[in-house]
Amino acid sequence: MGVPFEALLPYAVCIGMFGFSGAALSKIRAMQNGGKRARHSVDQWDRQMMDRDRRLTGFLRGQTDNVKAPAGFELSNPWRLERGYT
Amino acid sequence: MSARQPRFNQHLLIDTTPLPDSIPKVQEVGSSSAPLLSASYFIGARCKAYNDDYMQCKTEANGKGEMDCLREGRKVTRCAGSVLEDVNKSCLDEFRKHWECLDNNNQQLWQCRKWERPLNSCVFEKLNLEKKIPGVPENETPVHLRKRQIFAHSIMTQ
Repeated sequence: MGVPFEALLPYAVCIGMFGFSGAALSKIRAMQNGGKRARHSVDQWDRQMMDRDRRLTGFLRGQTDNVKAPAGFELSNPWRLERGYT
Repeated sequence: MSARQPRFNQHLLIDTTPLPDSIPKVQEVGSSSAPLLSASYFIGARCKAYNDDYMQCKTEANGKGEMDCLREGRKVTRCAGSVLEDVNKSCLDEFRKHWECLDNNNQQLWQCRKWERPLNSCVFEKLNLEKKIPGVPENETPVHLRKRQIFAHSIMTQ
């Protein structure tokens, strides 16, 4: 007796649907992150380093291994302010 | 009016006045987070004295460290820049593979041991810098030398 494949077809459909949506979500996340996997469990240190990466390269997930920073990097860290009330 | 906590999320001010000429100018390190993490233990191996000086200066300055510890900070920047320059000259391919892997894996060192081992051996041969994790008990192998990484996602990248 062969394998009763008609009975396994619904499982194949479920797995296919889950797989397709998982792949689509992963592709969307990769597109949002510049072709890399998304970062998770990002704490204040990681946020600060990602902000520094953005100041160095222009992209939040951009990376470079230059030794010297581009000109103006020392001055590009802004003071964060609040609008004053009088 | 009672004071409330400030919310520093509304406005940005970029101050473009440069430092006065009495302070020597040092080029900032231009590497972003993944290459810095990859090279961090080598920077620690070469620059331990300068880093310890800077940390001690900052702890003892009691809040005035931003201005008082500029001299130690310049030494730290110069030393880290020299390590990065040497690694770029001698081991660029292994270095790039390692930090690209780190960037893909949420900056977690245990996912990328497969690319870390050639980098460590190359840097040890060419630059004589060894990665040492401080504070490892005597009878345990350090984490980066173990064969099996228990938290890695896949066995191929261990």
